[in-house]
Amino acid sequence: MTISTMRLTGVAAACAIFSINAFAEDSSLTNPAISAVLDGYYQSAERPMSERVEGFGLGHTEVAMSANIDDMFYGKLTAVIEMHDGETELGLEEAFIQTLAMPYGLSMRAGRFLSDIGYLNNQHVHTDAFSDRPAAYRAFLGSHYFDDGVRLSYVAPTDLYWTMGVEAFKGDNMRAADEHNERDYKSTGVYTAFTKIGGDAGINGSWQAGLSYLRNENGRMTAEEHDHVAVLDEHDHEHSHSAQYTGENTYVADFVYKWAPNGNYKYQHLTLSGEFFRVTDFKPLEEEHDEHDAHDDEGKDYQDGWYLSSVYQFSPHWSAGLRYGQVDTQMMHDDHFDPQKLKETEVSLAWHQSHFSTVRLQYTNQQGTNFDGIEDDNVITLQYIMTLGAHGAHQF
Amino acid sequence: MRINSKQFLPKALKTLTLAVTLGFISNAQAEFNIFACEPEYAALAKELAPDARIYSATTAMQDPHQVQARPSLIAKMRQADLAICAGADLEIGWLPMLQMKSANAKVRSTDQGLFFAAEQIDTVDQMKSVDRSMGDVHAKGNPHLHFDPKRLLGVAEALTQKLMQLDPDSTAQYQANLARFSQRWNDAIPRWEQKAKPLNGKKIIAYHSSFKYLFNWLGLEQVADLEPKPGIPPSSSHLASLLTRAKQGDILAIIIASYQSERGADWLGERADLPVIVLPMSVGGNEQSVDLFSLYDSAIDLLLAAK
Repeated sequence: MTISTMRLTGVAAACAIFSINAFAEDSSLTNPAISAVLDGYYQSAERPMSERVEGFGLGHTEVAMSANIDDMFYGKLTAVIEMHDGETELGLEEAFIQTLAMPYGLSMRAGRFLSDIGYLNNQHVHTDAFSDRPAAYRAFLGSHYFDDGVRLSYVAPTDLYWTMGVEAFKGDNMRAADEHNERDYKSTGVYTAFTKIGGDAGINGSWQAGLSYLRNENGRMTAEEHDHVAVLDEHDHEHSHSAQYTGENTYVADFVYKWAPNGNYKYQHLTLSGEFFRVTDFKPLEEEHDEHDAHDDEGKDYQDGWYLSSVYQFSPHWSAGLRYGQVDTQMMHDDHFDPQKLKETEVSLAWHQSHFSTVRLQYTNQQGTNFDGIEDDNVITLQYIMTLGAHGAHQF
Repeated sequence: MRINSKQFLPKALKTLTLAVTLGFISNAQAEFNIFACEPEYAALAKELAPDARIYSATTAMQDPHQVQARPSLIAKMRQADLAICAGADLEIGWLPMLQMKSANAKVRSTDQGLFFAAEQIDTVDQMKSVDRSMGDVHAKGNPHLHFDPKRLLGVAEALTQKLMQLDPDSTAQYQANLARFSQRWNDAIPRWEQKAKPLNGKKIIAYHSSFKYLFNWLGLEQVADLEPKPGIPPSSSHLASLLTRAKQGDILAIIIASYQSERGADWLGERADLPVIVLPMSVGGNEQSVDLFSLYDSAIDLLLAAK
């Protein structure tokens, strides 16, 4: 369980929602943008490392409020209500302030927010074209990485879009497992640096490419002294936002290309995106000096994952997506590591009655090697995602 | 080629220093940068501040409701001294995101370099209460106001004030530009009204409320909308009901904007034996529309051709 998640009774959570709603109806308060996201689904099986369970369920039910605080600061609060094992959990996904008036294209953000590494991570999951994040995100970032910390970013005054930034986070959700309950974690565990460039390619297309680095001070595993406590053991019952596979260094490369006839997104548009993750330096330091680490394949001290996604909206009401992604991870067993592999091929079809409502049918085929007992599994998900209240952003 | 690293490094540094210095010099002399959300405001800016570097975020072929906060727009807004947008929530899906990502304090608030056309005049169709079951409606009224010549002139006057506030050194220049534009515009209005007289009282079917101001001005009556609800594309059942309406025989034409799909309009036009007219939504919406004057001329000519 994550430290950030409070367990409340259903009644208390319901009260929290109603009080925010009452707030929204106060006509004297037209300033804050208040919105809610409703996400419900039924699926035939569970994807590993996912927050969604088998059968009926509710996904990220979000209530968000944002506004300019004054001429210098902007603030946003996003509360997420999730149901797990019959209990209602209220979590804070975002609670941050951002500067509005710093000079030279600089800005700072502080509080709890989504890290700006990679392409998908800074986007809210309800804007995705698939019901779950790619396996690489689920394995290495706990689906989406948000945390308590600060960010400094800079946008260059050039016609080619160029931004760069650094972040520092608490990093609790990115900690490697503590098998013996005696680990001395660093309180500021995660540092990131990222840069993105982008622009238009003709009148029809736009692109963005990025490189990110994440340093995780608490990402390395400690040696196991007792028998067979796999890092993964807990995760079947645990729907926290914690990363399942960590390492000291994570490198991410990402790109996205969007196309629309004449740049008009109303009727048709295509989005191609892909990201590559490499997570290195996770093996316990003692292990490196271990004399019986003989297996060649296990010698590698990195794990990686990638995905390629293509989503085509072929009419204002319909869009279809195709995504392939895989992760190659390592699971610790006593004094050695076993390689694991998960490959996911996914097709989705979505119907949009308006800008604000989506009903999606998704099929996933999973091919696993030594991964959670998955060999050749199929998952069907039927899902709705609807937003009400303030108009969301058309983020690139 | 082999590069002598001992010589290369100082040379590279010199080049870099030169480049940076030049960069600052060109920055110091840089023109006034204007970011226009729609091409009609880029065109208006061109009339009022012809020396400025003007960039239009969208074209007349793009639905201004459905724009992505894409990297090129962030880069342009980062450099802007003034952002001119229609307002009335037309850009609600992308402008706030651009402002956030471009980190340019100059264009954050209407006290400074942000200008909303809809705030300068009274919009039509403002609503007391808005519910999404009514479609994607704007409580602040119809934002497509650039087809009302008198309102646009009001916007031009307010925009000139804004330009003088932000760039006081060129005050005389901006006043002269406004005087020249107002003169030409005021001369053109009666000419347009005279030309469009035959259109007065005619009934049309149109897509969305894109040309509400044009119709109001010329006395055209939009009796039906191809969209069942604002923002919702034409459905077959809705088109069927429009066909029944069209068969009453009093409709002049079906009108869509340059960024709207012709499919529904063509279907209806074929069955109801009505012409489908594609009007330029803005400057650049067809070959004739190269500035605001030719945009108006082209729109009126196209409507007259339907007779």
